[in-house]
Amino acid sequence: MTLSELISPQAVLPSLRVTSKKQVLQELARKASELTGLPERAVFEVLVERERLGTTGVGHGIAIPHGKLAALDRLYGVFARLEHSVDFDAIDEQPVDLIFLLLAPETAGADHLKALARVSRLLRDRGVCDKLRGTDSADAIYALLTESAASHAA
Amino acid sequence: MDYGIAWLLIGSLMLLGSIFAGLLSARVGAPLLLVFLAIGMLAGSEGPGGLTFDDPQLAFALGSTALAIILFDGGLRTPRATIARGLGPALALATVGVVLTAGLVAAAAHYLLGFEWVLALLLGSIVSATDAAAVFMLLGRSGIALRDRLRATLEVESGSNDPMAVFLVITFTSMLAVGELEFGWWVAADFAMQMGLGGALGAAGGFALVWLMNRLELSGGLYPILALAGALLIFSGTQLTGGSGFLAVYIAGIVFGNRRVRADQLVGRFLDGMSWLSQIVLFLLLGLLVTPSELLPDLGAALVLAFFLMLVARPLATLVCLTPFRFPLREQAFSAWVGLRGAVPIFLALFPFLEGFDSSGQAFNIAFVVVLVSLLLQGWSIPWVARRLHVALPPEPEPAMRLDLDLARRTDRMDRDLIAYEVMPHSRAADYPLAALDLPRRTRLVALIRDGVVQRLPEVTQLQAGDFVLTISPPETAATLDRFFSRRFASTAGLLSVDQGDFLVDAGTRLGDLCAAYGIELAGADPNQTVGALMRRRLGEELGRGDRLRFGQVEFIVVDQIGAEPKRVGIALEPEEEDPTLLARLRRLRLRLPARLQRLRRRPVRVSGSEKEESDAASSPGSPTL
Repeated sequence: MTLSELISPQAVLPSLRVTSKKQVLQELARKASELTGLPERAVFEVLVERERLGTTGVGHGIAIPHGKLAALDRLYGVFARLEHSVDFDAIDEQPVDLIFLLLAPETAGADHLKALARVSRLLRDRGVCDKLRGTDSADAIYALLTESAASHAA
Repeated sequence: MDYGIAWLLIGSLMLLGSIFAGLLSARVGAPLLLVFLAIGMLAGSEGPGGLTFDDPQLAFALGSTALAIILFDGGLRTPRATIARGLGPALALATVGVVLTAGLVAAAAHYLLGFEWVLALLLGSIVSATDAAAVFMLLGRSGIALRDRLRATLEVESGSNDPMAVFLVITFTSMLAVGELEFGWWVAADFAMQMGLGGALGAAGGFALVWLMNRLELSGGLYPILALAGALLIFSGTQLTGGSGFLAVYIAGIVFGNRRVRADQLVGRFLDGMSWLSQIVLFLLLGLLVTPSELLPDLGAALVLAFFLMLVARPLATLVCLTPFRFPLREQAFSAWVGLRGAVPIFLALFPFLEGFDSSGQAFNIAFVVVLVSLLLQGWSIPWVARRLHVALPPEPEPAMRLDLDLARRTDRMDRDLIAYEVMPHSRAADYPLAALDLPRRTRLVALIRDGVVQRLPEVTQLQAGDFVLTISPPETAATLDRFFSRRFASTAGLLSVDQGDFLVDAGTRLGDLCAAYGIELAGADPNQTVGALMRRRLGEELGRGDRLRFGQVEFIVVDQIGAEPKRVGIALEPEEEDPTLLARLRRLRLRLPARLQRLRRRPVRVSGSEKEESDAASSPGSPTL
């Protein structure tokens, strides 16, 4: 599985302006709702529900919010690069500016876990993250995510 | 008269030199013990120092004392929880592991190098024990954070395998005296007697020492001396009654360290210093004792044995001992590489020498080279190996600055400690209002100093970083209390490392919720329990940081704990496939074995070809070369 199966160029928000974690999740939910046709509210609630178990801010400015929705037909990813980083209750308590949202259908099972692991592995790469931070073009970001993903797929 | 003072001058200069060299070595990352050894060699007969020290008897007495102190101090610093976690695997390594290592090395010495069996077995036993001092130091002071169970195993092993090696060496030395291999019931009986007596006298002595410490009214400075004298008495007394003094003094240390003892802070610091001194003295002495030019004839044989030990014997021994305890392979590989040899083998090699069976000092020289190689290669590379094998966890958050005030503690009437803290930035105490701090039971703040001014406590609503506070707290909650004043996360370990999984959840999370969020099969587990409770139930009460539980397709990992309770749990989404059954592992090994054997076969052929001649020359001096 490569990230190009999860994310489309339309799902990249290259320089999102937000001021809080809640707003990040709302904006991501809105974008996801556009892509999937599901109600924004439902997406938002799933994400908040997951944050309650423990933060998805994994440190070094990265967050990977995720959740499952019964009505989804496949896995969907949304990527956002924030204009200004925001507090995300991350494990290192540092503000977050790169966010990958992953939504999975209720039936995805192993695919969901695999996709999450892929994303998490990609964003562990400091080099990739630096490049993502260095551009505000949606196409460039999309290219970075999908190209690098190929080398991380092994 | 002058002569004595001159020795004192030389001794103190060497000590100072060691301490300064130690400071320098930290920058290069060189193993400290190696530095001490090198200084001893430099000062010795063939170095610029030119000192002649040729008194194995004195070296042996001083060495025993130093080793006893190191073992007592090591035991003292081994909390009960560590023993509970590491006892099984550590005992396996300390008994079966030592015998296996000794046997394999002996076989190599016999078949590859042509040593006679008795001498080969003696050599094997001499190098069979990992060094307590080296391992304690490496794990304790290097700052490598390991999974709790792994660390506990290695520490307890290094403390408890010395007595085993000593026993083997004495046994084979006495066989050497008879001149033939003679195994019989007496070996088993002797073993039972040594270990039984050592264990019993050690425990009894430890309890007696604790009782004495708490009963006697002494001036403060005498308590550490009392403890030291007690430890040495336990060691020498057991040794003279025919038990294993090394085992006794280690066990006495454990007993002593896990009981409430008056002045335990003082004793702890004093023994820490004494343990350093012992290590320095031990290595300096051994460095002085060796004559480097005499190492040359045995160099080839010693190198073969050293590499055989590091690459074959020790790895096989750990594989056999740790597999039943389900240690992952990479942890076994790490344990194999931490099989550091230190002063103990060199010290043990003095036995046959003193008994007059090793007049050429061959065993001593071989042991010396083995230790040198081990310290150089293994000692130097351990942090790197820990990272490569992914056994290093991110460092623990910076601990709270803490000071226990040791009141003359009467164990029956006063059961609370007075502990002072400096509040760290980003600690819970600094970030939350005082009223919201849920301090442990029976814990009180009694004083607060801010900017050098004593504050009126009722007026303080929130602590700040840099405040000094004085608390009264029962000792059992001290660890919990530490967490209020420590940083809440390690400043260097932001991103979750591979070893802590992809995401963190609170250990209090309902298992059912977690499984639903990730589509993990419950497989009959109770969905209403918390993840923390599940891990405690499945992994046992002694679970520790870094322990993993395979659950369906994912793995849960203990990221941190409060006391015994897991606090946060990491989820690894794609855990390494690790077939836990011994059978499957052996099957896999058999598949790989031909390739490995081939590699192995290639190696000794090349080495032994050139080495064989040298060892032949060494064992029959005079024939070919002269």
